[in-house]
Amino acid sequence: MFLEQGKISNLQLSVLITGFVLGSSVIIPPGQGAGHDAWIAVALGLMEGLLIAWIFTALARQFEYKTIIEINSLVYGKILGKCISVLFIWYLFHLGALVLDNYARFFKLEIYPNTPKTVLFLLLMLVCASTVGRGIEVLARCSVILVPLTILLIPVDTLLLIPHIDLNDLMPILDVPSEKLLWASQGAASFPFAETVAFLMVLAFIDKPEKGPSAVSRGLLIAGFFLIMAVARNAAVLGPMAVITNYPSYLMAQVIDIGDILTRFEVVVGITLITMGFIKISILFYGTVLGLAQVFNLSSYRPIILPVGILMVILALTNVGNTLELFEFAYKSYPIYAVPFQIGIPLVTLIVAKLRRLPQTGGDQV
Amino acid sequence: MKREPCFRIYLAIILVIILVCLSGCWDSEELNKISIVSGLGWDLDPDTGEVTLTYQSIIPSEIKSTSGMDGGGEQKGGSALRAIQLDQDTGASPYDVLNRFTQHGSRIPFYQHTQVYVFGKDGAQKGIYGFLDTQARNPVSRPNALIVVSEKKASDILGIQDGMENIQAFGMAAEIKLSAQFSKYPAVTRLDFQQRILSKTTAPIAPIVGIAEEISSQGEKVKRLRVMGTAVFKEDRMIGQLNERESSGLLWTINKIKKGFVIIPEASLEIVRAKGEIVPELQGDQIIITIEIDEESNLVEYTGHQDLTSDILQELEKGQAKEIESQVMAAVEKSFALDADVFGFGEAVHRKYKKEWKDLQSRWDEIYPNIEVVVKAKTHLNEIGDVRKALLKD
Amino acid sequence: MFRLLSKKLRRWQILSSKDQTQTKPDRSPVYLSKNLEGNLQILREVLGQSSDVIIREMKISSDSNVDAAVIYIDGMVDRNLLNRDILQPLMFNLQLIKDHIRQNHSSLIDFIKSSVLTVGQITGTEDIDRVISDVLKGHTAILVEGVNQTLLIDAKGWETRGIEQTTNEVSIRGPKDSFTETLRTNTTLLRRKIRDPRLTFQSLQIGERSKTDVAVVYIKGITPDSLIEEINQRLKRIDADAVLDSSYIEQFIEDNPISLFPTIGYTERPDVTAAKILEGRAAILVDGSPMALTMPFLFIEGFQNPEDYYAHPFFASLIRWVRLLGFILSIYLPGVFVSLKAFHPELFPTPLLVSVAGAREGLPFPVVLEALLMLMLFEVLREAGLRMPRSLGQAVSIVGALVIGQAAVSAGLVGAPMVIVIAATAIASFLVVPFADIGALLRLLMTIVAGFLGLFGMIIVQLEILSYLAGLRSLGVPYLSPVAPLNIRGLKDTFLRAPLWAMDSRPASLNSPDMRRQSPDQMPQVPKTESNQGGNQ
Repeated sequence: MFLEQGKISNLQLSVLITGFVLGSSVIIPPGQGAGHDAWIAVALGLMEGLLIAWIFTALARQFEYKTIIEINSLVYGKILGKCISVLFIWYLFHLGALVLDNYARFFKLEIYPNTPKTVLFLLLMLVCASTVGRGIEVLARCSVILVPLTILLIPVDTLLLIPHIDLNDLMPILDVPSEKLLWASQGAASFPFAETVAFLMVLAFIDKPEKGPSAVSRGLLIAGFFLIMAVARNAAVLGPMAVITNYPSYLMAQVIDIGDILTRFEVVVGITLITMGFIKISILFYGTVLGLAQVFNLSSYRPIILPVGILMVILALTNVGNTLELFEFAYKSYPIYAVPFQIGIPLVTLIVAKLRRLPQTGGDQV
Repeated sequence: MKREPCFRIYLAIILVIILVCLSGCWDSEELNKISIVSGLGWDLDPDTGEVTLTYQSIIPSEIKSTSGMDGGGEQKGGSALRAIQLDQDTGASPYDVLNRFTQHGSRIPFYQHTQVYVFGKDGAQKGIYGFLDTQARNPVSRPNALIVVSEKKASDILGIQDGMENIQAFGMAAEIKLSAQFSKYPAVTRLDFQQRILSKTTAPIAPIVGIAEEISSQGEKVKRLRVMGTAVFKEDRMIGQLNERESSGLLWTINKIKKGFVIIPEASLEIVRAKGEIVPELQGDQIIITIEIDEESNLVEYTGHQDLTSDILQELEKGQAKEIESQVMAAVEKSFALDADVFGFGEAVHRKYKKEWKDLQSRWDEIYPNIEVVVKAKTHLNEIGDVRKALLKD
Repeated sequence: MFRLLSKKLRRWQILSSKDQTQTKPDRSPVYLSKNLEGNLQILREVLGQSSDVIIREMKISSDSNVDAAVIYIDGMVDRNLLNRDILQPLMFNLQLIKDHIRQNHSSLIDFIKSSVLTVGQITGTEDIDRVISDVLKGHTAILVEGVNQTLLIDAKGWETRGIEQTTNEVSIRGPKDSFTETLRTNTTLLRRKIRDPRLTFQSLQIGERSKTDVAVVYIKGITPDSLIEEINQRLKRIDADAVLDSSYIEQFIEDNPISLFPTIGYTERPDVTAAKILEGRAAILVDGSPMALTMPFLFIEGFQNPEDYYAHPFFASLIRWVRLLGFILSIYLPGVFVSLKAFHPELFPTPLLVSVAGAREGLPFPVVLEALLMLMLFEVLREAGLRMPRSLGQAVSIVGALVIGQAAVSAGLVGAPMVIVIAATAIASFLVVPFADIGALLRLLMTIVAGFLGLFGMIIVQLEILSYLAGLRSLGVPYLSPVAPLNIRGLKDTFLRAPLWAMDSRPASLNSPDMRRQSPDQMPQVPKTESNQGGNQ
């Protein structure tokens, strides 16, 4: 607790969660496996995400809002607890690298084909690092300004696209086989909704703990609403193209054309979406460095920001060879890969804690 | 906490150093290093299979000078192309052409402002997939650029001086959009075209542009562009075309009628509002498609020498409905003859009968010409204009 | 490496602070003796041979053995007062003093104070340091032979500027008086606006050499005590040579010592100062400076103008948005134009691109250089216009506008669109005065970044600036409040200016102990009786 003196309000937590969920999902919309029924998959994914959020907020509440690292040490003892914590930190770290990679690839493909990816990585990383260095409070304040502004883009885009929307493209509803739909919705749950499990590192700093769970679910619901809107709109505007194109939101922004005046601003849209990625990467980054500092009992997490950041960039540079691999990983392996971290660790920890009746002792030690 | 300011300074310094030193201007393209392509022509030699691309590029300095002195621009305008330049090259594929183009061009082509892609008819009949893939794969072209089929070679079309625009391709795009606005021929963007290709049953369409000779006021023959029909594709190959009436019928069916006129004997009517809907029905193996058209119009021309009565109006409405139905039927018959589902009947069936669709889709080509089509046009006359009685009676 | 650097920095800090403590002299006070000549000797030594120090020796009794001296600094005392009420009584009451001396010699000085001098503020002291400092302040000292005490008379009077109209912050509808260089005048101006007995002027002296009077102004019970304490602590830490202007104080007490953005506000208008104090802020007045400092200063205050509160709420809200827009334009416009031209030509509408490309033909420099050149020229012109004698300013603007604008275009050095962009930027940059300086810096930064990385670079820098701002505090208050951290009630006076009757509480971000500003339900209403009458008739 001494590592971070800041406190964030519940509203800020909701906004952070919204920005986090919309993070990279605005450029790679989830649920594409379900074709034009993607929005149903996202809605189902949202349900599952809320369930998972309920699990991890219950865990955090059980321990009066400690971070997962401290909880692990309490529940499993020093050694095992730290091992599990390191696994969890790996997940945050890896996910951060993936999001970073996502964004850099998007920009490299669509806007900056000749700029080395390393430069894009480093710049994004540096701005995240400097914000993380200023603490969670500053990040929360940034999100309160950035998220509403960028979220507005989704309804505004949708309004501008009304002439191109063909609701017939969404028909017939439930066209895909149910196993495909379920798989897509598991994909949508694991990316992006259940990724909020990273907030186990942040929930410790809210100022009204009793309202924590409602703040989390509110953030998820708002993000889910806008994500469903974006996914349904993509399908309605692009039709079958929404499934085969890599970045449908970007293609869709290219389509916008109101009287030859409100047109051609897809680059602005694309670049504005960076702000959400900034929040997502920063949260994951913050979780990683704070977690490491807690695992290794450091007095401050600031000295390890730059080293961890550079490692994250290296991982992002090397973890996939090309965009196809990234997409295959995101749509095929990730929904399974993420399960132990998103559901496994919180659920098992919660059960073990209940069995060992840890809340009382946990309460005493505070 | 005391270390914080120092940390920030450090970061800021790193940021600046990286920005300034590391980053060159990789993606910086000064405007005088690129040539803005306004229209792109694509021709395929049916015998050799070689692709010829015609770049119609804007000459910015010309634009500058013509806007500077109005008189000078006028004089030049009559004679030749005003502010465009045509470059051409041939190769095995679009990128092969570009590859060769760099040997004699002085600037890199920039496609983001390209408004029309013109496909030569001969080439289009062989298939345009190679070009479509290039356009969809590379984020250099815009999805709302228009797809056009030219009656002759694309390079000929792009060279015609036409209309009031300085830049010919923009004029062509405006012409097509105007014809679509007045519901003559469809305006098809690259995205529309791709969507139709992706749907397994629906046939892609594109307007056809040809060259018409007109006599100018000075009495010379002038070549002008003219939208002449609608090309029908099967997958990526052009297999036929719809004429003016059939194109209108197509637009009625796919609900693309915005403005325009319905001409019947003794009267012309201006369309105010129109709606077309495809209602499929499956009766055993037989598919029955009902095309429901709902239209409202104003009377703008009446050459019958009679005072208007409600009987006459009803007659006009009926005549109008008959005309619309006959246009639609003409289109339907032509599409059956071509065996190309230009209307998206298949998708309509898919939407309503998703279980049966799997079976139907695989043999859609056989089913399609046997579909029973019923057209129901409902018309309503809203306004009759400023006079009730005829100026000159019988 | 990091740690090494910071360690070194800290050690250096400690060393430098040690040096400072060593240099501070720790003298015990020196007292006056009974010997007038000796006392004068000491004073002459300290005050030096300065020509403006006047030591007037005289006899104040018909007995020749009672000598006295009046010491003052010429030009800092009111001569009329000195002659009429000090010198005249002293020298015309020879008999009276003589009589008194005969009766009781020891309390001669008290006698002079109580019965001879006809001035208001007189104090006595034995401390020679105090005599010196007060004389330097403009007091007049009277020394009498055989008395180890001196009388200090407050007869200050010097040439001052009168209260004039505001020059920088132009007032259209509000009061037009402005602060002057005299501290006392300024406190009077404030006192006349706020007659609350709890309005406090807490003064202290800062400056080893200048000994400048500084007053912290606040209302007890409205300004949080913690804020006052914090300000006092910071003021006491100052160990400067001289304080020549309030901006000296500003630089010493800012939260972030190298802040890019101003975290302390300044104003020359008493009404603005009064309003800020009433909101729960504190002000600092510095003698010799016509600018009051107000703190905490939040980002949003840069967009608030005092005239907003005197104008109609709707119009004031509109103008706020115009200011915000102007600020955004002034920072981003050149950068956006550069990145559009160099990186994203697809973003231009086609006709605009064609004309921009037409203007671009044949220009020698890359577009970034062009923009930087024009920006630098603009800054040069602005600075020249500011510093030039007023009569020459006209010439500068003519040369700037005509020669540089028109000629650069026709000579083919710069494109005409670039000139338009820079001109629009320049005008927009004057809309938000507090951030005009930082705006110029950010504009340059944005343009350079845009030249290297286009919009992506700009947004990265923008995120960094935002996170910097979000981390900034002004005397403990988050700089971006009430927007971040969000405070819904505080938003009444940010992007919109609510009517005065609706602003019933003080800005929440300032944590004033007394939040209630006025009773909440004061919305003006149509008198009911009249409308009833109208209905009856």
